[in-house]
Amino acid sequence: MNDLGRKLAKIAFEERKADYLLAARDESGNVAPAFVSKGEDVGDVRMDVPYQLVMVLTKLYPWIGKGKIAVVARRCDEKALNELTKRGIFDAERIVKVGLACSKEQIAKCRCDDPVPSKVDFGEPQKGAASDELAGKLLKMTGEERLKFWVRQFRKCNKCFGCTTNCPVCFCDHACVLEERELVAEKSIPPGLAFHLVRSFHMADKCIECGECERSCPADIPLLTLRKLVKKDMKELYNYAPGNEKAISPLLTTLEGDKLEDDSNVC
Amino acid sequence: MSEFKPTILAFCCNWCSYAGADLAGVSRLQMPPNVHVIRVMCSAAVKPEYAFKALSEGIDGVLVLGCHIGDCHYLTGNHRTKKRFPVAQRILKDVGIDERRLRLDWVSAAEGEKFQQVITEFVSDIKKIGPNPLREVKM
Repeated sequence: MNDLGRKLAKIAFEERKADYLLAARDESGNVAPAFVSKGEDVGDVRMDVPYQLVMVLTKLYPWIGKGKIAVVARRCDEKALNELTKRGIFDAERIVKVGLACSKEQIAKCRCDDPVPSKVDFGEPQKGAASDELAGKLLKMTGEERLKFWVRQFRKCNKCFGCTTNCPVCFCDHACVLEERELVAEKSIPPGLAFHLVRSFHMADKCIECGECERSCPADIPLLTLRKLVKKDMKELYNYAPGNEKAISPLLTTLEGDKLEDDSNVC
Repeated sequence: MSEFKPTILAFCCNWCSYAGADLAGVSRLQMPPNVHVIRVMCSAAVKPEYAFKALSEGIDGVLVLGCHIGDCHYLTGNHRTKKRFPVAQRILKDVGIDERRLRLDWVSAAEGEKFQQVITEFVSDIKKIGPNPLREVKM
């Protein structure tokens, strides 16, 4: 156990009275998520990696009967937890957050404008980045140029579903109609523009801009920039920003002011 | 070069717009023949996914027609449609497709003439915008 691990275990188990802890740790030179019970060795915890733990938590959560779960959460993780709690995936009482402020380099990589969690336990709070350079450039282009750019980008897609499986707020494996969510038929790669458009639309009311889609994309498609463009639209149209626990009217499932229904976990 | 003949999909809600289209037909109102009408139970049943799919496969324009606000057979169906489609249009704009290719309008069962007017307008709009650039793109 390294110093980070000891400090983390102390905060999670002693201060916040959690029963389990979810963090990223070093495993023979690589980074892996670790889920440990109270009293267990957390191992060499790593805080310098940007990977999302909420997605792991979503998968594990149904198998953990009771007890509080502490999770290392950046600002974007926090927002993801809010979005999922709103939709009834998590019980807010059972999740304990351990705040982690992102480093300057990470903020620059994510072009993040809201990097500081509500309570900082690790790291130094840094100022957010001003804006996405590529998004600004794209908005200045004409429609045709922009279409040319995106078609070129989307042609690189081989529909590996990396952006989907690694997305912390893409939770509806069974109900989602995100095109054909199965192996692609012969000669149907690249999958066309529609796949990414549909995904943008599904993400419109819940993308928390963690950048996991862009990081996991083997073809380096600037997906985070696309999300940022859509986020701007949502702000302009409905003054809605995902990640706020109070705004419980997601676009696709409910009307303004409506309560979330039982089928709210369908996107 | 021959004149550009757009291909247009019109999703019509069963209770109002489809009946409106029927009325337009029965009243022998003249309108451009470029439109393929698809009957759906409610305009809210038209997912923006359908529009995206159609446009990315080379359809020149997608028209979604529903009951007027307040007249929905399912009470709030068209409110939902009204909330979703502006976002879909913005997404189209963001990737560089003309957002006018996707249009949402309301036609009631008694408005055969409005149906004719909407179709005529939309077809002439699309003719002005030109063919869908994605038709040529072999993705």
